[in-house]
Amino acid sequence: MSEEKNVVSRRSVLKGAAIGGAALAAGGALTTESASAATRLKGSTVKWTTRGGGATGDKIAKAVNDAFTKKTGAKVVAQQVNSDDFQNNFAQIMQGSPDDAFGWMAGYRSNHFGEMGLLADLTREIYRLKGSLPTAAIKGATSPVSKKPYILPTTYYPWALHYRKSMVKEIGMNPEKIDTWDDFIKLMTLTQKKGLVGYSLGAKGGWEAMGTFDILNARVNGYKYHIDLLNGRAKWTDARTKETFKYFAKLIPFMNENVMDISWDGMRDLLLQKKTGAMMMGSWFANDFKAKSQADYDDLWVVPFPEINPKFGIDTIDAPLDGISVAANGKNVAGGKALAQFWASPEGITEAIKAGDTNIYVSKSFDTSSYDAFNKQKLAVLGSAKNIMFFLDRDARGDFAGPVVGPAIQSFIKKPSDINKILENVQAQWDALPKN
Amino acid sequence: MSTGVVQSEQYRNSQKRKDTFISIFIGIFAFVWIFPILWTVWTSLRPYNEIISYGIFSWPRRLTFDNYINAIQEMEIGKYLLNSLIVTVPSVILTLFFGSLVAFVVTRYQYKFNLTLLLLFTAGNMLPIVLTYIPVFWMFIWVGELFGNRNLLYNNYGGLILVHVGFQVGFATFVLSSYMKTIPKEISESATIDGANVFRHYFNVILPLLRPALAALSVLMTTWIYNEFFWALVLMSDDSKRPITSALRRLQGQYVTDFNLLAAGAIIAAAPTVIMFFILRKQFIAGLTLGSTKG
Amino acid sequence: MKTAATVKKNRSRRTLSKTDRFTLATFVGIPTLLQIILLWVPAVVTIILSFTYWNGIRLKDIQWAGVQNYKNIFVNNPLFYQALKNNGIWLAFFVLIATPLGIMLAYQIDRGIKGHAFYESIYYLPVVLSLAVIGIIWNFMLQPGGFVQGLMGRDIGNAISIYGDPKINTWVILGIASWRHIGYIMLLYLSGLKSVDPALKEAAAIDGATEWQIFRKIILPTMQPVNIIIVVITLIESLRAFDLVYIIYGSPTIFPLLNLLVFQNFAGQGISMKGAAYAVILLLLCIVPIITYLRISFKEDLK
Repeated sequence: MSEEKNVVSRRSVLKGAAIGGAALAAGGALTTESASAATRLKGSTVKWTTRGGGATGDKIAKAVNDAFTKKTGAKVVAQQVNSDDFQNNFAQIMQGSPDDAFGWMAGYRSNHFGEMGLLADLTREIYRLKGSLPTAAIKGATSPVSKKPYILPTTYYPWALHYRKSMVKEIGMNPEKIDTWDDFIKLMTLTQKKGLVGYSLGAKGGWEAMGTFDILNARVNGYKYHIDLLNGRAKWTDARTKETFKYFAKLIPFMNENVMDISWDGMRDLLLQKKTGAMMMGSWFANDFKAKSQADYDDLWVVPFPEINPKFGIDTIDAPLDGISVAANGKNVAGGKALAQFWASPEGITEAIKAGDTNIYVSKSFDTSSYDAFNKQKLAVLGSAKNIMFFLDRDARGDFAGPVVGPAIQSFIKKPSDINKILENVQAQWDALPKN
Repeated sequence: MSTGVVQSEQYRNSQKRKDTFISIFIGIFAFVWIFPILWTVWTSLRPYNEIISYGIFSWPRRLTFDNYINAIQEMEIGKYLLNSLIVTVPSVILTLFFGSLVAFVVTRYQYKFNLTLLLLFTAGNMLPIVLTYIPVFWMFIWVGELFGNRNLLYNNYGGLILVHVGFQVGFATFVLSSYMKTIPKEISESATIDGANVFRHYFNVILPLLRPALAALSVLMTTWIYNEFFWALVLMSDDSKRPITSALRRLQGQYVTDFNLLAAGAIIAAAPTVIMFFILRKQFIAGLTLGSTKG
Repeated sequence: MKTAATVKKNRSRRTLSKTDRFTLATFVGIPTLLQIILLWVPAVVTIILSFTYWNGIRLKDIQWAGVQNYKNIFVNNPLFYQALKNNGIWLAFFVLIATPLGIMLAYQIDRGIKGHAFYESIYYLPVVLSLAVIGIIWNFMLQPGGFVQGLMGRDIGNAISIYGDPKINTWVILGIASWRHIGYIMLLYLSGLKSVDPALKEAAAIDGATEWQIFRKIILPTMQPVNIIIVVITLIESLRAFDLVYIIYGSPTIFPLLNLLVFQNFAGQGISMKGAAYAVILLLLCIVPIITYLRISFKEDLK
């Protein structure tokens, strides 16, 4: 087939480009469509959904979509949707008449819906982007069941310990040296002594606290145990799981009173207003710090969660992978695939960064030496880990993570003494799930 | 006798004191009642930067309608209000029409199934929405695929109108049938004697008599359908087609820190039903009571 | 002697022409068809699906589950019992506090205090607002950074957990729901009160009866049908409570309600047919109020 020939010949071109150490690849060679596909695109309409993100999200989308239009002649119609409602109704939207392409999450959410036939198979697009994507990212975007990718990986971020350098200095500690569990406890204790919150957590949605559980479990029992636990090969009632919750309980006295009242944006605001010592969060919120002021952004710092069990060190991290997916039921699937590929290509990424996106891209094609200090630190934190988790609600099945584990952790935070009963119940609910 | 008179005078005086006390209490209570709405209006009139700099309790340096202008422009509220209109008006008209048809047959003609039908219709209105909404979604997609266009009913104003009608027609039928029972049999009889067929009977004889009930019901239905936000969330994937009440969800997330803008948007969204309530109060109350108190 | 007119009258009373019968059939048929397709068929589908395992996407994945979903809910699911408790508290609050308040408000306003039309409008105002708007209005009052927090001198850092604290949030949510419910009940009762004969009240007052006695012995009995309607409406509204809590929380984990559990498990991210089972349980709970309502409203016809 002529298309295959094109792909084969371009592969060598890609290799050449990567080795050439291209900082920002110039358009042509890396975005590939056969000639006929290109003419099909011109004049067609592709629909894009921006999942939340406010004004910044719209701005970034406009920049990338406009560049795509300029390049291919295809029109892009974009809309923004409430992220929670989109996620809550995802199955319906995908079965209905969805937009062609949208930002989505790797892991269960793309694998499951892809295997059900609701997301387009993006094998070809991944192949075309192979030169700019690291193997680990491609693997993370591929379903382990069908061996096909249903998402083009673009950004990732560490879910790690964030704090403000100025506040750490004020309590007499070194912001560049928060390494051990004792350092961590000391940071929270001293911050709390000043009348502020030691460790902020917002558990209103049920999913936020999973980050804390994930990292504690990985630190105490190791990556393999954590993944086994999420997939039913280890038990929630096991003493090792209970050990994790013992450490979790140690954090509760440092938390803010209104844990159940706020979500991630409340946590961000607490840090923004210098009211909290530390928090476990995904680094994406830094966009808002930067929007507020460069000084605030520069004050931000992130480190890996400290070691608890020397057997495992700090070898694991939650680094959720996000990307672009294409709806199988969209009106213009081919256009959606082309748009997705553009978003995930160095060309599209450049546009996004220019428009104000501070996220880290997995793409290899970028010269990271120009990254600012915070992003360099993010990379360092990500690099320090050998094992990458995607976050509990992406690593575990959807009818278990949200409905069972989320409320269980919330119950635990509300009443830590109930932990044994809570864990028994979680195990019972896992056992009752239909498995095939 | 005299003691009786004196007693009732004392009684009347103490009653008067109690009455004034109650009046004052209700007055204050009313203020507290409406305070959250007043606060939102207040918030919508204050410039954003003032609140950021001086806090929410600060004395205003100036009041402005800017937030409203911004709301209309940035949040494209006009578009969503139009969507609400497109969905609400046909839904109300169809609901009342269908309701009157069924009520007409059931009250003017003797059929064995009359009561069963009425019962089913009334009960249907009280079913929880969550019981039916997913199969309705599947049905819409399936029908759409049959005709080659997934958007035939899903993500389509028509589909949304259909579900609203389906859900509200039961209440309309119930109310109109109890109203129609008060229309004397003689009117129908003389119409039939004069040779009117069923259609004429309905259209020329009964329908004009329904005007007060229809007016009352239409005000009520418009409020309920306009205020509804759940169906559009499930059945409209295009945000630009959603009615204002559903769009508020997205706006709430997008402008979460922009209190003043959000407040203005909420007030604009609330305006149509509030205005309608104040102008058409009598009809409103009549509509409510038609269904619940038997005349 | 039968005149032509009488013959015609008799004929028309007994037989309807074919077109007439067709018209009648359409008049009834179309709305009924609509109801069946949009309400009853989906309800039955949900009921059937509650006995299966399915993720709702591909037909071929449906598996029979028997009563497993129900068993799972009753045995394993603490959220279910929390939801039942919350629905129950909602019900009790409405029946014991909100509805009586509405009735009392109606009674006092009916007694003709000054400016009663004005008060009617004010108290009823929340009822004409969409719950989406109500959610925003109360967020401004209660969220960290809102009015009530500000009154207590707390900003976002130390804001009291209003929506999250299980000791407070129930009452707050019920308060907001009552804010709406009371006005609704008030208006219903007010119009019913107008049908009470004022002469009766006057006579009782002259005879020395207290306000409370007049209310209990004269007004309540006269309002009997309205009373029951109001109780039933109260029951149904509390079982259907969904919109408000969905807007505030989005997910059912902090303030579980049956409706929210259906949503999360039937269509939300935890999609499975457990949601259908929740819906059926909710339906079963609603059946009693619905049947009561039907019996009261159609009392004469059912005899």
